[in-house]
Amino acid sequence: MAFRDFREFIDTLDKTEDVVHIKQEVDWDLEIGAIGRRAYEMQAPAVLFEKIKDYPEGFRIFGGSLGTFRRVSIAMGLAPETPVKELYAEYDRRINQPIKPVIVDDGPCKQNIIIGDDVDLYSLSTPYIHEGDGGRYIGTWAFEVTQDPDTKWNNWGMYRFMVHNKRLIVGWPRYSSHLGMMLHRKYVPQKRQMPIALVLGADPLCHMVATAPLPINADEADYAGGLRQKPVELVKCETSDLLVPANSEIVIEGEVYPDRTAQEGPFAEYPGYRMEGAKDGVLWRVKAITYRNSPIFTMISLGVPPDDSSIAASLTAALAMKRRLIKHGIPITEVYVPPYGVTHIAVVGVKSGGNDVAKQIKDVLTARRADVNKIMVVDDDVDPFDFDQVIHAFATKCHPTRGIFCEEVEAPRGNALTPCYTAQERRAYKGAIALFDCTWPPERNKMNEVPVKNSFDTMFPKELKEKVVANWESFGFKEKK
Amino acid sequence: MKKEYLTFIPDIKDLIEGQEVKITIKDLTPGPRKYDARIVKSILSSDPRRLPDGDILYVRSWTGMLYPQRWAIKIVEELEETEAGLPHGETVGANK
Repeated sequence: MAFRDFREFIDTLDKTEDVVHIKQEVDWDLEIGAIGRRAYEMQAPAVLFEKIKDYPEGFRIFGGSLGTFRRVSIAMGLAPETPVKELYAEYDRRINQPIKPVIVDDGPCKQNIIIGDDVDLYSLSTPYIHEGDGGRYIGTWAFEVTQDPDTKWNNWGMYRFMVHNKRLIVGWPRYSSHLGMMLHRKYVPQKRQMPIALVLGADPLCHMVATAPLPINADEADYAGGLRQKPVELVKCETSDLLVPANSEIVIEGEVYPDRTAQEGPFAEYPGYRMEGAKDGVLWRVKAITYRNSPIFTMISLGVPPDDSSIAASLTAALAMKRRLIKHGIPITEVYVPPYGVTHIAVVGVKSGGNDVAKQIKDVLTARRADVNKIMVVDDDVDPFDFDQVIHAFATKCHPTRGIFCEEVEAPRGNALTPCYTAQERRAYKGAIALFDCTWPPERNKMNEVPVKNSFDTMFPKELKEKVVANWESFGFKEKK
Repeated sequence: MKKEYLTFIPDIKDLIEGQEVKITIKDLTPGPRKYDARIVKSILSSDPRRLPDGDILYVRSWTGMLYPQRWAIKIVEELEETEAGLPHGETVGANK
C-alpha cells in the first residue's frame, strides 16, 4: 500500500503507536534537536512537534520518519514487526521493479507559492539542531533534485544544507556525490548556474531512495515508484523545469552558483561525530518556496546510531552493494550493513570464500567510492545479519596476517566524513580500506584440514535435532532465540 | 546593549587582532532570524576592554567547540553576502 502523502504515513504511525505528538510549545533553537536525539537513543517513537516558538500555528516539524526498522516496515506497507532479513528481501524485490513517475499539473505543494524578492527562508521553522553546528540545517531529512543538462538524468540525493541568510542556502554535498559530480562536470566549467530543488516531507520512501547509492543516470523517482509499488506523482517547479513530488510538504527552488561560495558547517554528521566545516560550501540562491497549508518540516537530529540515516542506509547501501557484487558474478549469499556501523562496515556472505574472492569483493565495493572502509567476508554457515555469529567468525577464522588486507584509497574515492581520517585526508577525499577475510581458504581439505564447527546445527544427527526441538518446551524451556 | 555574534574558525591564530579583517559571523539576536550569516570587515580583540565600543563575539573551532574566552568585535563594513570561489574549493585545491 502506497501512502498518498506524508500525512497519511503519520496517520498510520498514530494507529501503530509509533509517533508522539508534542503539543506544548518547543524551541526550534536546540530544544527540538535535543528531544529528537534523545528519542533515537531511547528507541522511542517518531515525534511531531505541533507548536514551534517564533512561528505561526500550523507550522510543524517531524523527526524520526525511518528511525527504526519497524517504521521502515510501516513505510513500506508491511507489518511493523517484519524481521530485518525479510525487510531486506522485500526492499530488494521492489527496488528491482522500478515504476516510472507520472507528471501532474498541480499538487498540494503548490498551495502557497512565494517567489523572488518575497522569499524569506526565516519564514520556515528550520531548527538549529546541535549546539556548535554552523547554522540552521534545512536539509537533513530532505532530498535535493538536480538534472544533468545533457542526458536529462534527474538525480535525487540526500545532502546536508543550511540556511546562510534569508535568500541563500549553503551546503556540503560531497564532491564525489552525484550532485557534486554533476555540478563540477556540467555546470562549473561552463560557469552555468545549476537549478536545484530541496524537498521536505514527501512519501518517506522517496526520502529513503534518495539515500540509495544507485547507478549514475538512474532516476531515483523510478525506484521510489518501485518501492511504493505505485508511481510517484511529480509536478514542475515554479522557476525551473525540475520535477518534484506533488504531495511534498515544502519545496525550495533555486540555483547553485558555479563561482560563488560561503562558509558551511560544521555539522554533527551521520557517522555520529561533528567534523570540520567547509570554507567553500555549495551555495545557492533561493528563487521560490512552495508549501502545503500547515506545512510539516521533516528533519533528523543526526548523531550516533540508530537514526533515520543509519537505518535507511543500512538497507539502501547493502542492497546496492549486493546488486554490484552479483553483477560482477561474485558468489555471494547476503550483504548486511549494520546500522551501528554507519555504512563504514559491510558484512558479505559468500558461498565459497578465500582471499581471492574476498579481494574481488573489496575491489568491486570500493571501485568508485570507498564509503565503506571495513569489509568482513564470511562463509555461508554464518548469518551476516547476526552480529554474534559474525564476531565469532572474525575472531576464529580471520588470520591476523593472512586474513587482513589494508590499503590506501586515492582521492577522490575516500569518504570525506570518516572520523578516523585526518581533516586533511577528509578534505582531499583520501582514505583507506581494510578487508577481513573470515572464510576458510578453499585450498584446505575439508575432510582433515578445516576445523569442524561445534554448534547445535552442525554437531548432531538430523533426527535428534528435530526431536530436541519438538520437545523443547516440554523440557521446561520457555523462550526460543 | 551589546549585540552578540558567533564565528567559526579553522585556527584560533586566524583571528588577527587590531586590524581590519574579513570574517563570517552569525547574528545571535534572539528571534526567528537568529544565526543569520554575514560577511563583514571588522576589528577584533581578544580583550573586550581594549575595544570598549565593540560587540560580543563568541568563537567556535572548526569542529564547533566553543573557546572559553569571549572576544570583542567592531563591524567596520558589511561586505557582499557571498564570496568569489569554487564550490568545494578546498577539495579541488587539495587534489591539484
